[in-house]
Amino acid sequence: MLLLDYQNVLIQSLLTERFSGAPPVSIDQVVSDFDGVTFHLSTPEHKTQILISISVKCYSELVQYGAQEVLEREYGPYIVAPEIGYDFSVLIDLENLPGDQESRGDLVRRVSLLKRNAMAAPFERAFDEFVRMQEEASKFTRESAPEGVREGGEVMAIHYREEEAIYIKASHDRVTVIFSTIFREETDRIFGKVFLQEFVDARRRAIQNAPQVLFRNEPPLELQNVRGLANSSTGEVGYVTFVLFPRHLTPQRRQESISHIQTFRDYFHYHIKASKAYIHSRMRRRTADFLQVLNRARPENEEKERKTASGRTFRVQG
Amino acid sequence: MSQSLRPYLQCVRSSLTAALSLSNFASQTSERHNVPEIEAASSPEVLLNPLTVSRNENEKVLIEPSINSVRVSIKIKQADEIENILGYDISFLITNFHTEEMLKHKLVDFIIQFMEEVDKEISEMKLFLNARARFVAESFLTPFD
Repeated sequence: MLLLDYQNVLIQSLLTERFSGAPPVSIDQVVSDFDGVTFHLSTPEHKTQILISISVKCYSELVQYGAQEVLEREYGPYIVAPEIGYDFSVLIDLENLPGDQESRGDLVRRVSLLKRNAMAAPFERAFDEFVRMQEEASKFTRESAPEGVREGGEVMAIHYREEEAIYIKASHDRVTVIFSTIFREETDRIFGKVFLQEFVDARRRAIQNAPQVLFRNEPPLELQNVRGLANSSTGEVGYVTFVLFPRHLTPQRRQESISHIQTFRDYFHYHIKASKAYIHSRMRRRTADFLQVLNRARPENEEKERKTASGRTFRVQG
Repeated sequence: MSQSLRPYLQCVRSSLTAALSLSNFASQTSERHNVPEIEAASSPEVLLNPLTVSRNENEKVLIEPSINSVRVSIKIKQADEIENILGYDISFLITNFHTEEMLKHKLVDFIIQFMEEVDKEISEMKLFLNARARFVAESFLTPFD
């Protein structure tokens, strides 16, 4: 359980159970996911028709970057008009499921990846842009390349949380993904720094082919033209840059890369919290040990029964 | 135990043992009160000279004796940011009631053991944190490899 799952486990288990041929029941469940994403699973009209809706904070931005096309590709025939209060809905008719077990499993998998697929659009666009630019750039030498090719594409911003955002930028030899992070508390900031330092060093030490990771408190150069960046003078805001190289962007690996990089923030915060919990429990255990040592200082006042020479005992009259 | 820690702890042990000769002493300022004089500091004649034992500039112990109480303040090593959040400076207040109830040498043992182990504990936690961070980072990046 070190790495986080890409899919929503609740949706997955619910659909697997429904698809297994169990008698249809009415469902009305609101499921929360990371980054303020909410799902609504319900059977509004018939028990056999399951409506799955998703609400994402930055949906309008995602649509701008082509989320509609990605979702249509993934869910084509299942898409229905979005439920009120949600951004996107799919309807699955239990009486009209694909026949074989394998494609049913595939449908469950796809639906449980709804959040991932919605968020994938800007990544896919950037990866496509990279391929185009790579071709473009191969026509020129390094020096003679026109401005547009050297500069790279537009920065796509996804404000997926209240105060944090992902910025994606394609160039002819890389795709840069920048996460802005915010730590309100000093303790979290230090924990974050320790963890990020290891992310930065990991590539140098062990995993040479991993994306390059950079961390800084000031906005990186890629974002110099982006407006509305949070003020970072207090050290609360940090920018984590992942540089994805062509080897991560090949058609065989791109889906995996997109899924994986999306989980970065949740993974990172999850492990900070887990470490804090461990350290707290460790401190409590140690305190108990110390108290035990202190208790040793108390002389044991044993209540020995005292007897007279003749063998009689005294008893205090209550 | 490292070379410099032993004499440091030995010195704290002897100073503390010497300081812990306490007697019951009722307050001179308010009737029927009996308060630790080192905290109240109501009159100078019941306070004794405070003493600092330092191992280095980051690690020291301040022993403040008075007629009926001793305050022992320990500055725990905080060399970097991580140690800063893992370790706090801490004070113990020992009154004559404690010394009457408990064995004096065991009380001193407790303080010394605390000093010995708290450093060890902090460096272990620090090592753990770094090791975990490294493992977590490598696990995340490995699928890209």
